[in-house]
Amino acid sequence: MRVVPVPGHLDDHSIDQLAANLGSWPPDQRILVDAHATEWASPVGFVALLTLGQALAEIGAPQPRLALPEGEGVASYWAKAGLLHHAEKFFELHGKVPRRKPVEQDDILLPVTMIRNADDVMDVVGRIGERATSILKKELGLEASVVGGFGQSLSEACQNIVEHAGTSGWVAVHVYNFRRRLGRKALVIATSDAGVGFRRSLEATLAKRIGDRWSDGAALESALIHGISRFRDPGRGQGLAGIKRYLSRWQAKISIRSGTARVAFAPSWDDEPPRTDNLAWFPGAQVTIIIPAKEAAE
Amino acid sequence: MNSVIRLDIILREAVATPYRDLVTRQTGAAVRDRLLMVLRDHPGRDAHLDFSEVGLVDFSCADEVVAKLIVASADLPVPRVLLHGVGVDHAEAIEHALQRLGLVVVAVLLDSDQPLLLGAISEDCRTAFGALTEHGRVAATAIAHELGWSEARAREALDGLATRRCVLAHPDATFEFGAVA
Repeated sequence: MRVVPVPGHLDDHSIDQLAANLGSWPPDQRILVDAHATEWASPVGFVALLTLGQALAEIGAPQPRLALPEGEGVASYWAKAGLLHHAEKFFELHGKVPRRKPVEQDDILLPVTMIRNADDVMDVVGRIGERATSILKKELGLEASVVGGFGQSLSEACQNIVEHAGTSGWVAVHVYNFRRRLGRKALVIATSDAGVGFRRSLEATLAKRIGDRWSDGAALESALIHGISRFRDPGRGQGLAGIKRYLSRWQAKISIRSGTARVAFAPSWDDEPPRTDNLAWFPGAQVTIIIPAKEAAE
Repeated sequence: MNSVIRLDIILREAVATPYRDLVTRQTGAAVRDRLLMVLRDHPGRDAHLDFSEVGLVDFSCADEVVAKLIVASADLPVPRVLLHGVGVDHAEAIEHALQRLGLVVVAVLLDSDQPLLLGAISEDCRTAFGALTEHGRVAATAIAHELGWSEARAREALDGLATRRCVLAHPDATFEFGAVA
């Protein structure tokens, strides 16, 4: 059995470490995803872990094991956030499995939720609506205009799964304190799917045109920066481009990881480069949107 | 006579949903198909789409419902399509969808009675539109006089607005915005 250690803090950055720990794909033996020492995971980490489990299931790999965190309250939080409810379908869970049901509360705006089709997207956006409005205004001090943009961003990020992945995916929305990177609270929308990824989705449309430079990074740039879609309909490709326009106004960040690359549209508080290539490969695509709380007046 | 069409009702008729949000392409396409059916039954009347009871509108749905409807409406017996009760968030998504396709529509924002243009159109057309909405039915000379433009410039802007079905052009070379609703 191959052991794949999960970083102590699993978020949109350390997912690269998780990918590197995976080694070759498909794995040549059963894997143990070892989170026993993991102290914390962001929603990005939750949906990435499920994507890993789903990707292994979809290639017919032996069911992986997931060793749950041993730290006090960590596994319980993972259950509350909805991870364990879904993880049971893909992983053999090891460790003390808390029997808590997923809950919606102030910090967990949306527990991990499966996205299979447009109805799921409507349901997620509709369900989260009023609570999101209240939390964005009260907890993050954001204006009403941001609330609408949040819903639009959530909807488009989820639709990206439905339209492009070719399989189902996951979404989670949390609010937490970004002490180190930002010094204040932020809302995080994380989606992930185990699908074909941006490169394959756009290959027929773009690969020839881009030639030797065609890569995961080029595909991501085409989608996020240039709004290019695999569909001929000129109205397509608006979702990510629209999100990006909105986010730039609120000092918010969007990053997309697919295959071996990540493209980010980052504000000044984040040091993520616009494009990173040659990362360790990870299945499908992961979209992360971070909307920071309003800065307190000096 | 105008037809006021409540989009929240069309949404419920088109898709079985307890929500008021116009989100996803599939939803947008279903709503547009339903709208086209309704508009075919209202020949000769401006269609006023009422967004006031709609929750969220995302970019994809704005493209499916508004942009594609504007394109399809050229083949409908409807003089104009106008939007009402449009929230600021709705307007952003609609503007984004229309800009991308070089389209324009007349919209009245929620809690306002002042029409404005959303989408891609020249500054001259926007300025002339603003001036025309302050008047009833006038000739290009009146708009030219008000804006300090040449008559040719005013006429060109008003013709552009009429061609894109934002204002009404009459056979006696006068223009008007018409009734808001």
